[in-house]
Amino acid sequence: MNPSLKLALLVLIALEVSFIQVWSINVALIVVSLILMLLGRITWRRLLWLTLVPLFFSSALVWSLMLRSSASTHFLIVIFTRLFVYVYMGGWFTLTTPPLWLTHSLEQNAKLPSKFAYGFLAAFNLMPKIQAEVATVRAAALMRGEVLHVWSPRLYFKVILAAMNWSDQLAAAMTSHGFVEGAPRTHAQTVPLVARDWWLFVGSLLLVQVGLFVGLP
Amino acid sequence: MATVTVQSLTYTYPKQAHPVLDHLSGTFPTGKFSLLTGVSGGGKSTLLKLIAGLIPMSATPITFDGHPLSAITPTQRASTVAMLFQEPSTQFTMDTVENELRFALENQQVPAEEIADRCDAALDFIGISNLKFRKLMFLSGGEQQKVALAIIVAMDSDVILLDEPFASIDPPTRLILLEKLVALCNDRGKTIILADHDLSGYQQWVDHLAVLADGQLTLLSTAATRERFAAFTPQRLQLTHVQLPNDQLTVCLQGTQLGLAHGDRQLLTPQDLSLYAHRTTLITGPNGSGKSTLFKALVRLGRYQGQLTYRQTDITKIRKRRYARQVGLMFQAASAQFLNVTVAEELALSQKYGDHAYFTPTRIQQLLQQLNLAGRDEQVLYSLSSGQQKKIQLLCMLIMAPDVLLLDEPLKGLDYASIQAVMTILKTVQQDLNLTLILISHQLSGLDDLVDLHLTLADRHLTYQGVSA
Repeated sequence: MNPSLKLALLVLIALEVSFIQVWSINVALIVVSLILMLLGRITWRRLLWLTLVPLFFSSALVWSLMLRSSASTHFLIVIFTRLFVYVYMGGWFTLTTPPLWLTHSLEQNAKLPSKFAYGFLAAFNLMPKIQAEVATVRAAALMRGEVLHVWSPRLYFKVILAAMNWSDQLAAAMTSHGFVEGAPRTHAQTVPLVARDWWLFVGSLLLVQVGLFVGLP
Repeated sequence: MATVTVQSLTYTYPKQAHPVLDHLSGTFPTGKFSLLTGVSGGGKSTLLKLIAGLIPMSATPITFDGHPLSAITPTQRASTVAMLFQEPSTQFTMDTVENELRFALENQQVPAEEIADRCDAALDFIGISNLKFRKLMFLSGGEQQKVALAIIVAMDSDVILLDEPFASIDPPTRLILLEKLVALCNDRGKTIILADHDLSGYQQWVDHLAVLADGQLTLLSTAATRERFAAFTPQRLQLTHVQLPNDQLTVCLQGTQLGLAHGDRQLLTPQDLSLYAHRTTLITGPNGSGKSTLFKALVRLGRYQGQLTYRQTDITKIRKRRYARQVGLMFQAASAQFLNVTVAEELALSQKYGDHAYFTPTRIQQLLQQLNLAGRDEQVLYSLSSGQQKKIQLLCMLIMAPDVLLLDEPLKGLDYASIQAVMTILKTVQQDLNLTLILISHQLSGLDDLVDLHLTLADRHLTYQGVSA
């Protein structure tokens, strides 16, 4: 499916799910996302992470609601499954969409200004660099007798400083390779946006609407 | 093809009183290899960035065949002028070589069906077709510079600017890149302007040396150029009392079948390595050979193969916090070391946890005097010059007085007087506190008094040099 439409579909469904409380639809979405992830050959390790992390937070949330408020069982189930809907749908999206492909699609199909499209990609490519920077800052602090935890402001001060430096470097790198803001570009690879993508998009949305309508108490 | 003409260019950095380029004029002719030299901080990089249009100027006195860069349509600027940066890893936007090449050609609005062929041709010209699908992050500095040059070849830029492009790459790669550049000049009529302070290896290709000094550009005559080249002898290492390690020395760090790699490139073939306590060891070797990678492994910031022990204990079994106080690293980039904003705060942090018995406030003031840094307490660290940053950084790490102090290029960017001061301080502190110093340095003069042991890294192997005692 076309990445931009896929993203739009997920955001729309996520929005609906946030406002309407139908647990059967949540479960249906979880099952569909799970099947799609399995078809996309997700690793067991990753699936385990995607399950355990929301499980912890959902359980904590539901537990505290049970102790502290008089929420109905229906509401608790909705809350519990909602987090899984978000995480599983997001998991399916990232599993099946390479960032560069999404960037191309956002630029070509969604007509997003190339500045934003490549800004997003650059931020994504910066991730490993940020991890290395955090490790360096923490090591530098240890050598000076200071322990920086993940919540230490000093750690973020340093990393933000480094990121500002990188953003200048990145701007220079893009300019030197001929990138001009707002200028037309050609595309070595075109991301197809065909009738099938629209059918899938409209069909899935309709299906969710029907489900929501039927499921409403 | 384009001739670059600069007419009466004056440039002052924001918030500075004196211009770095002062009514500078000069011509870089089509199809010529121009070599630009001058002291560090003399404005070489600034001039190149101005020519490349990376520093915007309102009315630029720089023209390409008579046209200012602003008169050229933005999308065609990259095919007029392109720049290769000093730091190889900072010039890419994409993840792989192929994607970066495509990105550059798309920006130039090359028709989609031509892009693949032009990418292949450019990679082939530089001789790196095998790198096409590789991730840029995992390439060595030399490979990254080759990719950057291939992109410039693909963009078919008329003017190619290079800012100390060989600063972090090994000599064989440097030679290959130079040959490619000369071919681009001679066969394709490109205008090349290369800034470098190391003049070795250029004499057969450059007739006129351009010298940038006091904001002015002077083109030397052929005779004067030859004289300059002849007078330039790369610094030679003069170590008179270096000896091979003997049995009396205590081992502090021991590597067993220690190997190092960068991505899938092996830097050090697994070998046993001993580093000795209470001595000063100098490590030398070509750029990009893995010296800094070794230091990162020693402070547990990088992966390594085999085992590393500190006083007979595996370093992975010592608590990180404790180990970091025993083995410290002075990073090559000063900014990596700083955790605070002002000089006083940074020194105070070191005093808090460091050796305050030896480094009394009086002694620190005295050291600051010696390093010509007195009275800068309230200054923001990042507004200091790179040399001043380097000196503060050294002082901070010395006050911590770890048993083993690793120094990665401690003299980089320092002037002569500072080098002398730093050497004296290192020598005194090392003797007073009986520290173990291990240093990497490209700056070789003045080290003789300090160094006891000398390790060279060549052909993926570390070997001790010197005569046996």
